[in-house]
Amino acid sequence: MSFSSWIELIASGLITGGIYALVALGLNLQYGLMRILNIAHGEFLMVGAFITWMVQTSFGLSPLWMIPVSFALLMAIGVAVHWLCFRRLTATSPNLDVFEARGLMVAFGLMFLVQNAISWIWGGDLRGYDFLTQPVAIPLPGGQAQFAVNKLLVFALALLFAGGLIALLRMTLLGKGVRALMQSPVGAQLVGIDTRRLHPLMFGIGLGLSGVAGCLLSMAYTISPSMGEPYTVTALIVITLGGFGSMGGALAGGLLLGVIEALGMHFTNPSLKALLSYVVFIGVLLLRPEGLFARKTRKA
Amino acid sequence: MNARQILIRDLLVLFGLAGWAVALPGFASEFVTSMALTCLMYVALSSSWAMFCGTTRYLSLATSAFFGIGAYTSALSLEHMPWAQAVMLGALIAAAVAIVMGAAVLHLRGTYFAVLTFGMTELIRHAISYFEKSVTGTVGRVLMVVPEASTVYYTVLLLAVLAVALSIVVRRTRFGLAMLGIGADEQRAQTLGVNTRIIKIAGFALTAAVAGAVGAAMSVRWTYIDPHTVFNPFIGFQTVLIALIGGAMTLWGPLIAAIVFSVLAETLRLQVPQIYMMSLGLLLILSVLYLPGGLASVRADTFRGWGRDLRAWWADLRDELSGEKRRREAREKQLRERRHGY
Repeated sequence: MSFSSWIELIASGLITGGIYALVALGLNLQYGLMRILNIAHGEFLMVGAFITWMVQTSFGLSPLWMIPVSFALLMAIGVAVHWLCFRRLTATSPNLDVFEARGLMVAFGLMFLVQNAISWIWGGDLRGYDFLTQPVAIPLPGGQAQFAVNKLLVFALALLFAGGLIALLRMTLLGKGVRALMQSPVGAQLVGIDTRRLHPLMFGIGLGLSGVAGCLLSMAYTISPSMGEPYTVTALIVITLGGFGSMGGALAGGLLLGVIEALGMHFTNPSLKALLSYVVFIGVLLLRPEGLFARKTRKA
Repeated sequence: MNARQILIRDLLVLFGLAGWAVALPGFASEFVTSMALTCLMYVALSSSWAMFCGTTRYLSLATSAFFGIGAYTSALSLEHMPWAQAVMLGALIAAAVAIVMGAAVLHLRGTYFAVLTFGMTELIRHAISYFEKSVTGTVGRVLMVVPEASTVYYTVLLLAVLAVALSIVVRRTRFGLAMLGIGADEQRAQTLGVNTRIIKIAGFALTAAVAGAVGAAMSVRWTYIDPHTVFNPFIGFQTVLIALIGGAMTLWGPLIAAIVFSVLAETLRLQVPQIYMMSLGLLLILSVLYLPGGLASVRADTFRGWGRDLRAWWADLRDELSGEKRRREAREKQLRERRHGY
C-alpha cells in the first residue's frame, strides 16, 4: 500500500471519527453532568438530519444555514424535554442509582416516541441530497489523495463545534460551574451554582450538538429514520473509550474509533464493522471501565 | 392475611387463569388464539425477567439474546430430536451462556450493567449473522419439521405457568430473600453472609433458561428464522417495558401488563404500527414518572395523590396568574421589615 492510500484511509477514518466525537460529546455532557444516559441521543441527531433535508429539498436553502437553526431548535426541544420529564424525575427519585435507572427508561421511551414519530411523518425511505460532491485532490509526496469537498467540510465543522464546546467548558465561568457540578454536585450547590438553571441548559446544549451532527451528516450521507440507533451505540462506545464525563477523552476516543473502524474494515471486510466496534466496546468496558485515557482510578 | 393464605390465593389465581387459557383454543377464533400465544410469551418472558432483575435491580437487556439462542437451538436440533427435548436443550444452552456472561459482567452495577448486556446481545447477533453469511453461506434457517399449532400453544402456556409459579415459589425461599437483599443493599447482604456472586449468577441463569425455552418454543411459529428476527433487541426492550409498566417488584404486575400490551399491540399494530410504538414510548415515560411502582401498585390512594398534586398545581398556577403570589411575597417582606424595625 502506498503512502497516499494510507493517508486516504486514515483521513476517511478521521472524518467519520469527527462526527462520532461530536455526538459523543453531547451524550457525555448529559451523562457526566446529570447522570442521564440518554439512549435517545441518536434519534435527535436523526431529527436534525431530517429537518435539514426537508428545508434543503423544499426551499433550496443551503444546509450551512441550517446548522444554527437545527442547533437552536434541538436545544429548545432539549430544554422542554428536561422540563417535562427529568425535572420531576430529579424531584421524586430517592437516590442517584434509582434516578439513573429511571432516566434510562425515560430515554428508551423517548427513543420509541421520536423515531416512530419521524417515520410516521416522512416514511421509512432512505433520503439524501447532493451538496458539494466534487472531489478535490491534495498533492502529497508519492502521489495524491482525493477527498469529496463535503466530507472535508463536515470534518472541519465537527472539529470546530467539538473544540467550541471544550473551550466553553474550559475557559468561561459557565464552564467552570459545569465542571464544578461534575466534580461534586453538593459542593457546587453550596458555593452558589444554580443546578436548576444549569441542568436544562446543558441538556439542551447536548441535544443541540446532536442536531448539528445530524445536519452535518445529511450533507455527506443518506439518511433514514433508523439511522439514529447505530450512532447512539457508537457514542456509548466512544464515551466508554474516553471515560464517562471526560470531554477531551470523548474527542480523542471518537477520532480513534473512526480510525480503528476504517483500518479494520479495510483489512478484514465491511460486514465486520459492527462486530468490531462491539468487541472494542465490551473489551474496554470489561478491562478498563474508567476509560482508556484516565490517569487515576475511579472510586466506586 | 398471613403468608400461607397469600400463597394459597396466588396459586388459586394462577390455577384459574391457566385453566381458562387451556380452554381458550376450544372456543376462540384463530386470531384470538394467536394473540393469546403472543400474550403468553410475554407473560413468561417478563415474569421471569422481573423475578431476577426486578428484585435485585440489575437491569438486564439481554433477554433477546437468550430468546434468540433458544430459537436457533431448536431450529438446528428439531430434525434430530423430539419436541420436548429440543425446548429443554434451548433452555440449557441459554442458561450456560448466561452463566458465562454473568460471571463476566455481574460485578458491574446500574447503567454499566444495562449497557453491557445490551452490547453483548448485539455482539451475539452480529457474530451469528456474520457466521451465517461467511461460513455457512446462508441468511437464515428454514424449519422443516414443525409440530402442530396446538402443541406450540400448550408448550408456551406451560412455560408461562412455570415462570409465574417459579416466581411465586422463589420469593418465599432463602434464594429469593437473598436476591431481595441484593436489591436493597448489596454490601449489607454480603456482610450478612449472602454469597452474592453465586446468587446473582444463579438468578441470571434461571431467567435465561426461561427465555431460552420460550425462544425455542416460539421459533417454530415463524417457520423461517434469521438473526435479525430472533435476536431483535425489541423483544428484550418490550419485555423490560412490560415488566416495568406492570411493576417489576410485584408478582402479578408483569402478567397484567402483558395482557394489556398484547391487546393494544394487536389492535393498533395492524392499522398504524408507528402509533403503537409511539404510545408504547409515551406509556413508558408516563409510568416511570407517575407510577414508579407499576400498574400493580395502583390503589385508591394513588388516584387521591394525583388529585392532590393536580389541585396543588392548579392553585399555584391561579395564584401566579392573578398576582396573588406576588402580593403574598410583598406582604411577607413587609412583615419581616416591620419586625426588624422593633
